[in-house]
Amino acid sequence: MVSISKRRTPNRSRFGDLTNILVLIGFAAFMALPLVFAVNNAFKPLEELFQFPPRFLVRNPTLDNVRDLFALMNASWVPFTRYMFNTVFITLIGTVFHIIVASMAAYVLAKHQFPGKNLFFNIVIMALMFSPHVTAIPNYLIMSRLGWVDTYNALVVPAIAAPLGVFLMKQFMEQIPVSLLESARIDGANEFIVFFRVAMPLVKPAWLTLLIFSFQGLWNLDGGTFVYSEELKTLPTALQQIVATGFSRAGAASAIALFMMIVPLVVFIISQNNVIETMSTSGIKE
Amino acid sequence: MQQLTKQKGQPFRKRRKGLTLRQQKARLGYFFISPFLLGFLLLFLTPIIQSFIYSLSDLTVTSSGYELNYVGFSNFNRVIRVDPNFTPALLQTVIQLISMVPVILIFSFFAATLINAKFKGRGFARSIFFLPVILTSGIILAMENSDLILSSAQVMAEEDMQNTSMQMMQFLQFRRLLFAINLPPFIVNFLVAAVDQIYDVVIASGVQILIFLAGLQSIPVTLYEASTIDGATAWENFWKITFPMTSPLIIVNAVYSVINTFTNPDNEMMSSIHYTIFSQSNFGVGSAMAWVYLAAVAIILAIMSVVLIKLVSRYQH
Repeated sequence: MVSISKRRTPNRSRFGDLTNILVLIGFAAFMALPLVFAVNNAFKPLEELFQFPPRFLVRNPTLDNVRDLFALMNASWVPFTRYMFNTVFITLIGTVFHIIVASMAAYVLAKHQFPGKNLFFNIVIMALMFSPHVTAIPNYLIMSRLGWVDTYNALVVPAIAAPLGVFLMKQFMEQIPVSLLESARIDGANEFIVFFRVAMPLVKPAWLTLLIFSFQGLWNLDGGTFVYSEELKTLPTALQQIVATGFSRAGAASAIALFMMIVPLVVFIISQNNVIETMSTSGIKE
Repeated sequence: MQQLTKQKGQPFRKRRKGLTLRQQKARLGYFFISPFLLGFLLLFLTPIIQSFIYSLSDLTVTSSGYELNYVGFSNFNRVIRVDPNFTPALLQTVIQLISMVPVILIFSFFAATLINAKFKGRGFARSIFFLPVILTSGIILAMENSDLILSSAQVMAEEDMQNTSMQMMQFLQFRRLLFAINLPPFIVNFLVAAVDQIYDVVIASGVQILIFLAGLQSIPVTLYEASTIDGATAWENFWKITFPMTSPLIIVNAVYSVINTFTNPDNEMMSSIHYTIFSQSNFGVGSAMAWVYLAAVAIILAIMSVVLIKLVSRYQH
């Protein structure tokens, strides 16, 4: 029995596996380089940061940069934790509501019939193509007319209503078998229960992916044009302020850049570990 | 069904008080979509319509805000007929895009299939392929660009490369080799451009890989089990199960890639729009440029979707 379980899957050649692994390693090395560089930069002492030509790997690793960063945090106008709170708050609220709002819209676009549905979806696609420079000024005018300038609303609401999520979720919602939804309705579920308990679990890989995109976008959101009060600014804005002070802050900047990279990466790993194969077609006999 | 339609006859219609089933369903649809619709109309559609109004007018900034003078289509006329730089820039962007999107699609599908397989360190591999998404967004990119030491090192490296010109030679030989086997110039140029852009492609396919990956993860394992028991090879499994099940996502990813490449702030059209609006403060012309650009993208997108939908539907069932 042991020998059977150890046997390779039939029809898989060792050569094919090897090629796969080699190709993967090649691309992986290509893509991992910037992260390796950032990690190394964060632990470089100042004189190595300014070495020319720059060295890729750190020679004498030190925690000076992190200490610098903490010193800088304590000295800043607004407590540094405030920037942190702003970014975390905006990211959490924006991501959760974006997923719910976009999935609800995508659900009815994919699985319900109502007048104006196709027109609406086409407008969503068109809105995706529009260049953000052109809408920058009208956008600001609308925000100011709504009285949202210099509030969290200006940052969170556009992220919640972003069209990309609807576009993505609609495709996945379309693959849900209608018979599953119908059987839930026959069992007495109302439309909300059908949506939250049947449809959403079936497209879990999709909204976990959307979660990553949304998190990533909001985490890096620099509310520059909409938020002026120091206590509403986000972490990326604070980071830009640190970088803008020039060479003396290069160490602290490289430490915080690493932090900005690591958090989305951790979210990504956690969400990917939560993906299990869905069972969208199990339980259906045609 | 026939009975249902009979019930719609005259005597029944007058007695009914509430909404019809169809109206109920429509109401439910609007209800579900309303939170999104509200935000979308307010924050995305209104600015776009506003920009169309700008493109038809001459915008002057005054002390109390701005003034619009309706000038008809003269902004469009200026962009298309008068401006000597616009049409070449538009063409170049479009050509670059057309050469890039298929490569992105193929690469991301390939990468997604690979990292969907079960092997040790899969989580690690997936995170590495996710890195470009992190690295190319906002602040981190801005930091890398502002790194003085790095950029001067890059200039040095580029000079070195030009001095030795090894890189160029290799490409020339590659091209000659392709010509030698009698490939038409169109394909040769496409291949060379693809090789040239390999880093851009890898960087630009992070999101697409994830979308394909989500699609692959939605395929039930039982399908593979059943077909493998029936004696299908991995190759057959791929073409009979994986590809048909994920092919709708090819359209999604194609649309996404087109949009992403088109609205990439690095490309020539985007920077010239940005320049016209913010450096020359010529809002009307800038908006007109954006609308012409949008029309070009929309046409390409429409052609592409029709072709892809035909191709994909061939693989369905």
